[in-house]
Formats: sequence, C-alpha cells, structure tokens
Amino acid sequence: MPYYSLGLEGSANKLGVGVIEHPLEKIAAHNHANVLSNVRDTYVTPPGEGFLPRDTARHHRNWVVRLIKQALQEANIRPDQLNCICFTQGPGMGAPLQSVVIAARTIAQMWDLPLVGVNHCIGHIEMGREITGATNPVVLYVSGGNTQVIAYSRQRYRIFGETLDIAVGNCLDRFARTLRIPNAPSPGYNIEQLAKKGRHLVELPYTVKGMDLSMSGILEYVDSLAHDLFQGKKNKQLIRADGSKVTVEDLCFSLQECIFAMLVEITERAMAHVGSREVLIVGGVGCNERLQEMMGMMAKDRNGSIYATDERFCIDNGIMIAHAGLLAFRTGTRTSLGQSVCTQRFRTDEVFVSWRDD
Amino acid sequence: MTKDTNELLPTAEYSGPVSRTFEVDPSKPHSTSGRTNGPSDYVLAAGAVDRDAPTEAPDTRIGRLRAYVTTLQDEVNEFLTERMKIKGEEEGQDLVNPEEEEEEDQSGL
Repeated sequence: MPYYSLGLEGSANKLGVGVIEHPLEKIAAHNHANVLSNVRDTYVTPPGEGFLPRDTARHHRNWVVRLIKQALQEANIRPDQLNCICFTQGPGMGAPLQSVVIAARTIAQMWDLPLVGVNHCIGHIEMGREITGATNPVVLYVSGGNTQVIAYSRQRYRIFGETLDIAVGNCLDRFARTLRIPNAPSPGYNIEQLAKKGRHLVELPYTVKGMDLSMSGILEYVDSLAHDLFQGKKNKQLIRADGSKVTVEDLCFSLQECIFAMLVEITERAMAHVGSREVLIVGGVGCNERLQEMMGMMAKDRNGSIYATDERFCIDNGIMIAHAGLLAFRTGTRTSLGQSVCTQRFRTDEVFVSWRDD
Repeated sequence: MTKDTNELLPTAEYSGPVSRTFEVDPSKPHSTSGRTNGPSDYVLAAGAVDRDAPTEAPDTRIGRLRAYVTTLQDEVNEFLTERMKIKGEEEGQDLVNPEEEEEEDQSGL
C-alpha cells in the first residue's frame, strides 16, 4: 500500500490543504509522488491594506475544517488511510501558524495519526524538485516573507545569500499598497501586469551587498517617486527622454527590473560557486514570468536550465507540506504534541535533510 | 439548543493575582457569532467584506460545543482586556492595544 499524508499550510494569508501519495519505493525520477488534492483559500484585504495577523488567523480558523473536508473528498481518501498529518511549523506569522497547528493537532488526535512539523521553505524546495524534476539545483526562494538563495550540501539546504531586510514579495506588495491597486488575485500579480505595459526604465538604487541584498531602501525610493507622481510634484526622474511623463506602469516595470536583476546576480554567483547549472525558482514571486525570463537568460548564458512551477505549487499550498512532511516521516521523523509548537523564526538550514544522502 | 446527558461543556480557568473560573450555561442561547471573534474594526473601516465568518453551529454535540466555546472565548477575551486596563492604570501606562491582547488570548486556546 502506498504512503499518504495530509498537509496543512497557513503561515501567511493562504490556507492550503493537500493530500499526497508516495509509492512504496524511494521517490526518484522514475517513481513520482501523486498529488491527490491541493485546495487553497486566500485571505484577501481591501486595496491599500496588508493582512493583519489577527484577521488572517481568523480566516484560517473559520475555513480550515471546510478545506480539510474538501481535500479528503477530492483525494477520495479516508482518514484511516493516511500515514501522518503534516503542518507548517514555521517560519511565518505567529497567529496564522497557531490557528493551523491547532487544527493539525486536533485531527491527529481524532484520527490517531502522528504529526510531522515541516519547515515552510523546505516544503517549497522539495515540491519544486518533485514537480520539475530538477535533481540538485541552486534554489531561489522568493515570496512575500522570504528571499533566499539556497544550495544543498551534506544533508542541509544551505543559505548562500538572502535579504537583509524585507522580502521581494513584501517589497512588491507594499508598492501595490502605495498604488492602491487591488489585492486580488494577488498584489504581486497586478504589479506584474502593470509592469508589462511599462516602457521607460527609471533608475533605482541597486543594493546587492556581497551575496545578500537589501530592498527596503529601494521601496522607500520608488514609493517617494510614486507620491511625487500622484501629487504632480516636479521631479527630473519622472520625465522621460522624450519629455513625456513617467507612468505608474513605468514605475512597476522599473521596480521589477531592478530587484529581479539583483536576484539574478546573486543566484548566478551561487551557481558559479557550487558548480551547478540548474536553478529552481520557488515561492509566490516565482510565478512572475519576467523573473523567470531574466533568470532563464542568465541560465542560458551558463549553458544551464531554469526550473519553475505554476501557481498551484509556487504560491503557498498544502501539498508541499504534505510532500516534505511525508519524506521526513518515511525516514523516521515524528513531531510529538509537546514538540509541535510553531515558531516564527525557523531557518532553512536548521533542518536535517534525512531523506537525501547525495 | 438542547442539552443531553453527555453534553460537552467547556471551562476555562485563570490564575494570577486574581483567579476566575469560566463556565457556560447550556440553558442560555449560544452561537458561533461571538462578540469578540469578528473581523477587526480596522479592516472593516478599510472596507473589508466579511466572507470569513464561522459557519453556524448545527444542533449536535460538537456543533453546540463550538457555540459554547465561542461564548467562553468572549468572556475570557473581555476579562483579559479588563485585566490589562487595570494593570495599565496601576502602572500608569497607556493601555496596550486590545487587538494584541486578543491575539495572545486566542493563541492559548
């Protein structure tokens, strides 16, 4: 009989529940996992607003039972067929994490199943590897809460570079709030659509610091340009070469070009360091087609390949937690009730990757 | 709501400088729409439409338990908010944001 697990994700504004099936033998290129269900509901706020922990947690509490039922129904799996319940243990926002772990503990006790706590970042990496078939890539993990360049070495996913302040998705989301554009389906997606219409590149600060990068200053800078634009203030940077005015679309385009170029630079350096020709982009911002295109150009120059997934797996989801948790479960990992406390800070390299021995 | 012999009745206990036990009276009406479990005033003022309200509790043991817990939670939240006000006044400090206080309380469920 194959292995089955149910995964619960709720570290930010997405609540996801997924059921995965692993065949008995070791997961490999010829022995794939099967996604049986992957359902999600997003807490969406009005334009110009971010998501507060209290309201996000409330969303998760009030939807989690409905989503668990839906996931089991779509998967056509009974609770007694499951091997374990996997949940995001961190990193993330405290109150939403807390809501979801309570649900995980409850169903684990109701159905007499072991719990497996999963690092959110590891979930993204393992699901990305499983879906794309990338064997040992340099991973660019870009989302609303995280920005890291990661490579595997000796049973750890090691961080080669990361943001020193805000995450790339947070930078884009906050600029979307400044522009007061809708948060549905996601602020980053709406920025991307506006950026496609931008033609004029406004020079913004370029802040790569060694293998790390900083984006708070860039956000402050582009925010001030947007305010000047809205208030009709004179600013040389808001005039194009042909004398016409810079548009909101130009600002979105410029912001994306600047921060994506920074991400490409540190990813390329990590690839050179570890001698890898594969780059895997995971996390919500990984859906951005322009980022994929820019990374693809760099990878092509290095005779390499880029791997990315679509929004089902890029954006936070329950199936990645089910998958990473089941990998850990199969190598003996269990999380007792006493150990199931969530943590907002849980670094990728803290996890011992027991399921890989390469 | 009806009560049978195996009714699940939640309780809560606070111990500190003062002690208090919280209980629910099953003979009174209870629902999952509590006084303190709605969207925050901030997001409502920003124009949020609440599509995340809890489902109504069916008249089953587990359904009634959900409604009892909501009542209990309201009482605990209001008690703790009052305690924080008193503590703030005693220490001559401004009241800590009640929103944050509710977060703390819910995490202890």
